[in-house]
Amino acid sequence: MSSERTDTADVPPLTEGIAPGTATDPDVSSDEPATVTVDGIEVSLDAGDTLLDAVEAVEPDESVPALCSYDRQEIGPRSECRTCMVETDAYGVVPACSFPVEDGMTVSTAAEAAAEARDVNLDLVLSDHNLRCTTCGKNGRCELQDAAIDQEVEEPRYGVLDDREEYEPIDDSSSFIQIDRNKCILCNRCVEACNDVQVEGVLRMEGSGQDTRIGFQNDAATMEESTCVSCGHCVTVCPTGSLVEKGIEDATTIPIPGFTQKNSVGKTYENSGETKGPMTPKKRPERPDADGESATADEGSSAGDDPGGVWSDDGGDWP
Amino acid sequence: MAAVGSTGVGAVEPLVLVTHDGRTAAHARCTPDRAADVVAAAADDPDGIADGADAVVEHEPGRPRLPALDLSGLDAGDRRVLGACGWRRPTEPADHEAAGGFAEHEATAVRDAAADLRGRGWGDWCRDRPLGGTWDAARAADGDPCVVVNGHGNPADALLLASAPFEVLEGAQAAARAVGGDRVVVYASSDDARAVEAVREAAERYPDPAASVDVVAGPPEYRAAEPTMALEAIEGNHRLEARLRPPGPEKEGLHGCPTLVHTPRTLAYLAVALREGGPADTRAVTVTGDVDAPATVELPESETLAAAVDAATVDGEFKAACVGGRFGGVTRSLDVAHAPEDLAEAGLGTEGVVQVLAEDRCIVEFVGKRAQFASETNCGRCVPCREGTTQLAERLRDVYDRNYDAAGIEELVRVMERSSICAFGEDAGRPARTAMAAFESEFEAHARGRCPAGRCMETTEGIAQ
Ligand code: SF4
Ligand code: SF4
Ligand code: SF4
Ligand code: FES
Repeated sequence: MSSERTDTADVPPLTEGIAPGTATDPDVSSDEPATVTVDGIEVSLDAGDTLLDAVEAVEPDESVPALCSYDRQEIGPRSECRTCMVETDAYGVVPACSFPVEDGMTVSTAAEAAAEARDVNLDLVLSDHNLRCTTCGKNGRCELQDAAIDQEVEEPRYGVLDDREEYEPIDDSSSFIQIDRNKCILCNRCVEACNDVQVEGVLRMEGSGQDTRIGFQNDAATMEESTCVSCGHCVTVCPTGSLVEKGIEDATTIPIPGFTQKNSVGKTYENSGETKGPMTPKKRPERPDADGESATADEGSSAGDDPGGVWSDDGGDWP
Repeated sequence: MAAVGSTGVGAVEPLVLVTHDGRTAAHARCTPDRAADVVAAAADDPDGIADGADAVVEHEPGRPRLPALDLSGLDAGDRRVLGACGWRRPTEPADHEAAGGFAEHEATAVRDAAADLRGRGWGDWCRDRPLGGTWDAARAADGDPCVVVNGHGNPADALLLASAPFEVLEGAQAAARAVGGDRVVVYASSDDARAVEAVREAAERYPDPAASVDVVAGPPEYRAAEPTMALEAIEGNHRLEARLRPPGPEKEGLHGCPTLVHTPRTLAYLAVALREGGPADTRAVTVTGDVDAPATVELPESETLAAAVDAATVDGEFKAACVGGRFGGVTRSLDVAHAPEDLAEAGLGTEGVVQVLAEDRCIVEFVGKRAQFASETNCGRCVPCREGTTQLAERLRDVYDRNYDAAGIEELVRVMERSSICAFGEDAGRPARTAMAAFESEFEAHARGRCPAGRCMETTEGIAQ
């Protein structure tokens, strides 16, 4: 899990000061072995399992994409994509990837409410995605593509991110890794691989709302200026073409004259050509006081000029 | 002469109350000069306190809580939970003690009182649910339980912390004792400086607290009131994001310890229930929006929303209300009792805030801005909320482009409600969903290029050209 607590004595000192920007999630694995029924089929599960383990054991007719789930190493569940929703008798519609199994649970993958949620949520993921598979190095081995195929998405109902103004420049500055944030689904796997597995403390989740993005704990603007040691773990876990290894970023593109991965977005941060010194992990220099008194979020106050004096929700110009 | 906190009814303040022999005279909206005159006159002739007063009331001498006064907002009856506000000195233990406070209650008695008491407000982990089950889970969990008082963002909560902090702290101490905890953390928005200051002083002066009390001021963002984001803020995370659940904080909360997260309202109701041998069947409601001044009143649960709105003066003609906080439900009718089940049945929220919208408000514009606020201020963690609010705002904007897809919006809101991680995303679509039902014709008029309130004309004309 990301951001294991740092205030307990048994945490290795190495992780102190790593600031991944993510919430300290509780342990969502079940305490005890359990037997549950999925779509009428009984499944026995071990302690630590989630409903997704049960669903995967049954291989239901319905597609349960579980897009952001990784479920290996110490990574996840982040449970952010919500494309794994299933219906339970006891708790209603829940995310399978992060729901601890309890003995005697009854689960339906076909229930309309769950199927609708999976479908809409996958389209919502696609709505914020630069869907240019033909120029993408992950074409054919992309988990988002797989999920969309499994779920039989033909025309995502919210469209795709196609407004060039919204594109974030491709970060091609590192000699080893390229980042195209326009393809990032914010699954957080790279952040956890970097912080919890490699203990390098380079990547973090930053911002909020539509500005939520993968960034660097040393506040660098580009990968080259970050403290990355180029171990490549983040690239291995990335489900999309958002993090790819340099040199094979075009490996699976379909050659169409004039269409390249870089010009699909337009703007790119290139390598500066300067050689970097030894890259030691630079931990975030300061953390807010443990009592939170100096904790401030990264955006300004929303208070404004509401005549009622209690709040203002202007939220900018409308429409 | 004693300075007390606000009553919660801004329109009558500064308020000077003169009490003598079971009689209280109220002088509303006092200038410093008038206040000085009132005080001098009372000192001269204590029997003549009614002279020039805006309201006079007879009551038992030594009454521990504010009597009902014939002043708008303060005439709604007995304030059982807000009674200390504007009557007792907020940080004076003697006042609280004289009102029956600081009594020690057996842990079992506290648990009994909590068994049926429902949590109040979206900042309460037990929103609209009885506390009992959650408390049992916290007691059964490994580790020392702690109590977080989440006073972030709700006007009634800020009022209680500022004007009646001992009520809140007493409830928190009782809760801590009942679950075997020894730590209380009070959390409030840094924007509510008076609340933070008052509760900090009250915590320092609390006689023999069984549990230690820390006061933490958190970031003012709306989402920072979400119970798990409150824990994140208290722990000092530099980025505010909701935590996954289950398990909830009652199993793994602050620094991994089992944690009760309750609002000041919930805890004040608990304190009063213990003192009076039963829960008060009232709700604290704040009326805001297009009114002369926001007012927080206390009304029986069976009273309707109309009674709450009566506590304030509407600026103009009443058109609609957004009931239940920023992401409350939009309604034309105030003929709904504010017991949680009645509100839920009417599709409205239970946050205890009624925002009045006067005749010149455009409902489409209002819910559009709410959706945009949601899309800009969500934590960014989960897809149904982060991307859902963005799509919602865009689809509401599409109405101005003559494209009103009611079924599509309903589907989107349904999925946000069902699959968001936290209450922010679950509630964010409610203003739009309820407004579409209550003001269908206004949405349709916009889709034909006309704003019935005459507010969106420029935009719609621009499109028509
Ligand atoms: S390659 Fe760099 S950013 Fe990626 S996991 Fe390794 S150190 Fe972290
Ligand atoms: S860069 Fe890849 S691994 Fe990282 S959050 Fe985005 S999609 Fe997930
Ligand atoms: S519902 Fe919204 S605020 Fe809550 S976790 Fe999801 S993205 Fe964050
Ligand atoms: S896989 Fe469950 S939320 Fe993403």
